[in-house]
Amino acid sequence: MNIVENIKALLKEAGLYHSMGLLSEAMGKYKKAVEMIEDNEQLKSRTNLIDGISKKINLLEKDMHKVEAAADKPEVSAKVQDLIKKLFTVAEDKNQDAVALDGAIALAKFGQHERALLEFKELLAKDSVRVVAAKNIIRCHMANTSVDAAVDQYEQWLSSDLFVPGELNKLRFFLESLMKKEGVEKKLLPAETPAATPEPTIEMPEVEEAEIAVLEIEEDEDHDDEVLDINSIGITLDSGPRKGDIVELDVSFQSGNVISLLITHTDTDLIELFSVGETLHNIQFYSSIAMFGGSGIVDTKTHIESGPRRGDYSIDLKVVGT
Amino acid sequence: MAIFNIKKREIECKIVYYGPGRCGKTTNLEYIFKAYKKQVEGEMVSVNTEGDRTLFFDFLPIGLGKIKGCEVKIQLYTVPGQVQYSSTRKLVLRGVDGVIFVADSLEVRREKNMISLKDLQQNLKEYGISLFKIPLVIQHNKRDLAEQGFPLMSIEQMERDLNRQLKVPSFPASAFTGQGVGATLKECMKLTLKSLQKEMQIG
Ligand SMILES: Nc1nc2c(ncn2[C@@H]2O[C@H](COP(=O)(O)OP(=O)(O)O)[C@@H](O)[C@H]2O)c(=O)[nH]1
Ligand SMILES: [Mg+2]
Repeated sequence: MNIVENIKALLKEAGLYHSMGLLSEAMGKYKKAVEMIEDNEQLKSRTNLIDGISKKINLLEKDMHKVEAAADKPEVSAKVQDLIKKLFTVAEDKNQDAVALDGAIALAKFGQHERALLEFKELLAKDSVRVVAAKNIIRCHMANTSVDAAVDQYEQWLSSDLFVPGELNKLRFFLESLMKKEGVEKKLLPAETPAATPEPTIEMPEVEEAEIAVLEIEEDEDHDDEVLDINSIGITLDSGPRKGDIVELDVSFQSGNVISLLITHTDTDLIELFSVGETLHNIQFYSSIAMFGGSGIVDTKTHIESGPRRGDYSIDLKVVGT
Repeated sequence: MAIFNIKKREIECKIVYYGPGRCGKTTNLEYIFKAYKKQVEGEMVSVNTEGDRTLFFDFLPIGLGKIKGCEVKIQLYTVPGQVQYSSTRKLVLRGVDGVIFVADSLEVRREKNMISLKDLQQNLKEYGISLFKIPLVIQHNKRDLAEQGFPLMSIEQMERDLNRQLKVPSFPASAFTGQGVGATLKECMKLTLKSLQKEMQIG
């Protein structure tokens, strides 16, 4: 191919890529064409050629800016929002409130924060989903409005009687951990009578992190945001003297799809059942809004060396395939 | 996760078109919408942003009629290709039953194809699904551009790049002319329904 044909082919390619929206590829070809023209002094009407290409590059740059400037997750029409709710609501619960909550979470995940906020606020009236709705309201404010708005909201709840002190403390932990993630160090007023948390927290210094895992709605690749807040699990023993029995275990801690369980040292059947790397099937997971079956992989098994649960085992179970 | 409605004798499953930005996922769906009018149940919904780019997803519900006495409905989705929409891609993949990986035949997009396939593998993994196990079909798109002399990769090269380990069915196609679009979808539906049938027998 001679130079002229080469340049023509490059310009043709660039034109195609631009029309397809492959903008940086188009730019690459235009630049290469310009270089070739500049390198070949014997070419006729070089300045004209370069001027022509510059115009095309200008148009291309405009399109690049437009794409860059476009909002990541703009609010879309109510019709599309309805569709998002319909398509991305997973709870097939008979519990209407759980379904409504799931719909609002879907909206928030797609960045439709304003409408999600309205729907979460309505759900504050429902006992079974109130705290989760409140956490999501905090999240929406953090993502869409401001930290101050989230704090205002918390303080407003603090002076209302919508939540009991234990719940308020949960919300406070939640908000504080979100703020910490954003680099905001701010202590919030606690609820008046701090509720004693029933879960043992001593071996888990990072317990506040557990709150972060609840119904992630942000673009965080590292968290498996699909796992609900699990309160306890049920496991069917398939061997030993208690074969066939269902044992229920409380979840002491949750981070994304990893849940921690505490097993008393006397429970030898269970301790054996949980061997690292093993996949356990037919587990029932109980969350406050739904119960579902699934499997779990034993991630770690730690012998607790100190504290009130000394001698017991702490198991990290990764929830998979629910 | 297909939804079986035993009372209504209905099965609903989800097929997702995956691939790098601008490889032709939306164009595939548009062609299906036009060419398979009879099977299309409802509107195609596209949620777009600047420059006609897919923002969240495209959605097209189709119906295959009765298969073995069971009404089969399929929801087709595309994902947004741009890198920053990673979390949206993952959301759209939730509950997926079958995947069509649309690869761009343009030489300049070689690396993007491979990155996108890896991204698919990663996102599936987060749902506990293996890329090697899910019903998957690869489409080598934009073949029509060869006629106009644009630099395309050979099918052999694309197969080496993308399908060497997977060894799944693959089709050359042009979403622009429609060539290969139906064949790709049909193969994926076949694999998906087969795999669901297996699952039902076990479960
Ligand atoms: N010539 C040609 N152009 C195509 C083909 N498929 C898609 N395109 C074009 O490539 C661009 C991006 O296509 P689109 O379907 O939006 O890609 P998506 O980002 O994967 O959804 C558009 O300009 C399409 O017209 C094809 O098979 N042949
Ligand atoms: Mg698209």
